Amino acid sequence: MESFQPVIVAFCCHYCAYTAADMAGSKRLHYPANVKIIRVPCTGKVSALHIMEALRKGADGVYVAGCLDGDCHFRSGNTCATKRVAYVKKLLDEIGIGGERVEMFAMSAGMGEVFARTATDFTEKIRDLGPNPARVGLDKLGCVGAGA
Amino acid sequence: MQEQRNSELSNKVLIVGGGMGGIRAALDLAEAGRDVVLVDKSYSIGGLMTSLDRTFPTNNCDLCTLSPRLSESGRQLHIELMTMTEVGSLTGSVGKFKAGLTTRPRYIDLHKCTACGECYRQFPECVRFTPGLDHRAPTCMRYPQATPYAFSIDIDACKDIEALVGVCPAGAILPDDRQTTHEVDAGAIILAAGSELFDPRVLDTYGYGVYPNVVTSLEYERILSASGPTGGALVRPSDGKKPRKVAWIQCVGSRGLQKGSVPYCSSACCMYALKEAMVTRERFLEDIETTIFYMDMRTYGKDYELYLQRAKNDYGVRFVRSRPHSIDPAFSDGAMTGALDIGYMPYGSNLPAAEEFDMVVLTVGFRVSNEVRELAARLGVELNDHGFAKTETFEPVASSTPGIYVCGLFETPKDIPETLVQAGAAACCASAHLSSLRVVNDKKDDLPPERDITGEDKRIGVFVCDCENNIGGVIDVKAIAAELLGLPDVVAAETIGHGCSRDSLERIQEVIRKEKLNRVVIGACSPRTHEAVFQDTLRKAGLNKYLVEIVNLRDQDTWVHPDKPAFAASKAKELMHMGVGAVRMTHPLTDYTLPMNKDVLVVGGGVTGMKAALSLADGGFKVSLIERSQHLGGNARKLRRTLGGDDVQAYLATLVAKVEGNENIQVLKQAVVVDHTGMAGMFKTGVQVGPRMVYRQLVHGITILATGALPNRPSEMLLGKHKAVVTQLDLDSVIEDDPEKVKALQNIVMVQCVGSRVPENPNCSRICCQSAVKNALRIKALNPDASIYVLYRDMRMPGMQEEYYTRAREKGVVFVPYELDDMPVVGADGDKISVTFTDPVLGSTVNVPSDCLVLSTGFVADEESTEDLGIIFHLPRTSDGYFLEDHVKLRPVDLPTPGFFVAGAAHSPKNLRDSIAQAQAVASRAQTFLAGDAINMGAAIAKVDSNRCAACLICVRACPFDVPFINSEGHSEIDPAKCHGCGTCASACPAEAIALMQYEDDLIFAKLDGLFERTA
Repeated sequence: MESFQPVIVAFCCHYCAYTAADMAGSKRLHYPANVKIIRVPCTGKVSALHIMEALRKGADGVYVAGCLDGDCHFRSGNTCATKRVAYVKKLLDEIGIGGERVEMFAMSAGMGEVFARTATDFTEKIRDLGPNPARVGLDKLGCVGAGA
Repeated sequence: MQEQRNSELSNKVLIVGGGMGGIRAALDLAEAGRDVVLVDKSYSIGGLMTSLDRTFPTNNCDLCTLSPRLSESGRQLHIELMTMTEVGSLTGSVGKFKAGLTTRPRYIDLHKCTACGECYRQFPECVRFTPGLDHRAPTCMRYPQATPYAFSIDIDACKDIEALVGVCPAGAILPDDRQTTHEVDAGAIILAAGSELFDPRVLDTYGYGVYPNVVTSLEYERILSASGPTGGALVRPSDGKKPRKVAWIQCVGSRGLQKGSVPYCSSACCMYALKEAMVTRERFLEDIETTIFYMDMRTYGKDYELYLQRAKNDYGVRFVRSRPHSIDPAFSDGAMTGALDIGYMPYGSNLPAAEEFDMVVLTVGFRVSNEVRELAARLGVELNDHGFAKTETFEPVASSTPGIYVCGLFETPKDIPETLVQAGAAACCASAHLSSLRVVNDKKDDLPPERDITGEDKRIGVFVCDCENNIGGVIDVKAIAAELLGLPDVVAAETIGHGCSRDSLERIQEVIRKEKLNRVVIGACSPRTHEAVFQDTLRKAGLNKYLVEIVNLRDQDTWVHPDKPAFAASKAKELMHMGVGAVRMTHPLTDYTLPMNKDVLVVGGGVTGMKAALSLADGGFKVSLIERSQHLGGNARKLRRTLGGDDVQAYLATLVAKVEGNENIQVLKQAVVVDHTGMAGMFKTGVQVGPRMVYRQLVHGITILATGALPNRPSEMLLGKHKAVVTQLDLDSVIEDDPEKVKALQNIVMVQCVGSRVPENPNCSRICCQSAVKNALRIKALNPDASIYVLYRDMRMPGMQEEYYTRAREKGVVFVPYELDDMPVVGADGDKISVTFTDPVLGSTVNVPSDCLVLSTGFVADEESTEDLGIIFHLPRTSDGYFLEDHVKLRPVDLPTPGFFVAGAAHSPKNLRDSIAQAQAVASRAQTFLAGDAINMGAAIAKVDSNRCAACLICVRACPFDVPFINSEGHSEIDPAKCHGCGTCASACPAEAIALMQYEDDLIFAKLDGLFERTA
């Protein structure tokens, strides 16, 4: 399993997490290339469906990164997102995929270090968990091109 | 409104010098509806910054950050750009200047030249260039995105003019071009004439000009630059070999008394030497050693101390505290090897040392050129002893002549952010002398009509920027473009050098037209900074601006995975596939606009807040100035004298009177902000005012934060426990009020950096070195026999402040450096304080029984108020609690949220003079915003599909702003004027009846498909 390179989708809000990711870039902080960012105006925009679709299409882990608590540019979009992520985690536990593949993180725009550390820690966690069972199942059925 | 301002006054400002400062001032004025004539003696604008490879503290490539500014400047219709032009004469006075301009012949028709370079290829000697190193750069344009984008001919060097004219395919060469003169009317003038770099040839000790491997810092910068003479390869001039050991020598020609040197500090050199050393280490890693010889590391700017720590700890740059006395060539078997021996006295040692290096960089500072001195003389502007413009502490950008303002290096040596701040301040001061008629939007851009793309097949064009080495140095951009060309709907895919440069933007437009593109994907830097530039390009090519997708290949790929190029390359491909997927789903959108409220809220009634309020009130804007205490004045209320000896209380009294007497300013004291809603142009802020905490709501268009910082009082070194221990601020008042007490003092010890540059408060407080020197000089004036010891880590006295430091040493003040791991030890000894410290020169421990211990405690952020305000206004802060500006280098007073600005110590610690400059800069930025009549709300608005809406009320409950309601037709309705565009309702709607424009679900799913079609 050492060669397993998980695919991670990170939904990042424009005002905090996405800016923090750019900040990590300005500071040349390294983190795993496994993380692919999708920019959203606010984490409130991320629905349960977006997270589930990412997993269904082949992501091994998904996280939503927004502003710090009470710091949301849109007042409470991040609280909404936190609730949705908790809901999706429960759902994933129930269907046997495991809620730990999905997480919610909070950071401010200035926290480039936190962004890089979060990306690194989450990637390692998913690497330890192994491939998304939904994806492996699909591979076995031959529904998706052969997995690594 | 001021009555005396009338239409007889000119609406025009003449700006002399087209470097960063001149460009920023021109843009600020033009955006505020003023006309500008920008003249530069060179054939393209950009000044000194265009020669740099990268700039601190982002270590970003300059060209990428500067070139959008330059194309902006070329684009701005209010700006008339005149290159190769100088001011010959000036008559008239403020409000009605008449300047005589002389333009040298360029021998090129600017309208025809396409900068194809044919003339240079065939007749290189005839084309003008600015030499970087002794040989020519690959192109003769000063930098790849020169503005104007045209060559310039040196007719005297040309032997066969007819042949030269013949090679130009555009017929742009004008052999009969003549010098021309013009007269320009201007209400005010800004001198942004810049400065030159010191030429170290005059120093006989360092062998510059004799040994080829001794280079200046600018030459080293050119060697590192991809557009430089070596194409970015780091090689020694003598033999083309890569050096393994490079040394920097600081303060060459600055802070010196020897021949050819100047006594002042050039301010920016410590930071740029750090940058050069870090970039060198970053690019060549373990293969190269970097050493900096320094006297004091002067990293006093915002977060600059952290930059120094990064250089030390993360990049392994070595620091040697010493000023080397000589550079000699190294020999091997009797022959020079090209290497150099640096001879120096290590600090605290009696034995001379020498060390061999492959290459030595002389860090040279700034000098005012004779040309600029002559210009100042022609305009009647007074200069100081060193040729910099004379200004007053409380009027930092006003020259000796009313109506003529100065900024940037010509004012005093400084770095780019401070130059931009002063440029804003100069623009603010200049516009105060112009006619009050604001003529905005009178000249509309000639945009082509938007093409209707309904029914067209999707035709996607992909452009991949290499951003010089930033992207292209890590991944193969050509391979990515080639691969994408195979995707469905992609009809064009190519690489573009500097994606944001004028020629690249024009190339994109050309391809859009030629290939009839209706969607565009750009792989470049962050959409946060560059989306607007590319959207604008689409619009110019006749496409709706929302048909573009920017893929962040730089900040989120090559900058963070340079260690794993293969992973970076596959991630880049995935990100580009996601971009192509998403752009297929885009469709034309319209921006929503609303009328703008032009009132201003200033939070914080210190000098910064008052100065900003006054500048805007004098410009005719209504200002509410709120102050949480009972008095206006802030920290300045406790300050008595500046370093230059100015009376702070007298200035403050005048300023307060002006503010309180201004009919456009409403002052609310004992006022705190309690709530806030709305967006730029239509903010509503709730404040509680007075002892009864009466609630009031203020409606305003923009907000300026000038909440200051707190004087630090750490409970260290017996402060607050022993009466002989005071802070510099306490001492300032004692000297003023109780001179007899000062005359009785015998031993005074000052300790610098108490509570600053430590883990709890990592940054430099900036004001403490000058406070210590100021107070030491005042004590010496009252009591010449007093012994004063200043224990310091680095004396940070930038610019002309250095002269006060020199004077203090002349007066006998003893300066002793200490290290953080060997702090002075302080103990109570009756009425006295016993201070024990290591003297590195003596090499032993010294004990001084002192009757006054003065702690230089500096500033700490006002955590409580910046945290509260940060939450209420949704503004980011730095890790140490100051407000975080949008771009540390290019937008130093703009906050990331539109309509918010920051100035003064709330931005970072600074003295009164710098705070005033920032206050004026903020007023200038505010005016650019307030000049418009409408607020653009963008297109990210939630829309309800009434056919799918079941009126379930979930959106009504989900919206953080209570915008959706169920209308008379029985379905949810969202008022676009109120929608903030977060999309929370869209993702909550169970019927998927709501879509957030620009971020529709199918677009997000298309990104996922783009990602997994490759990795599945």
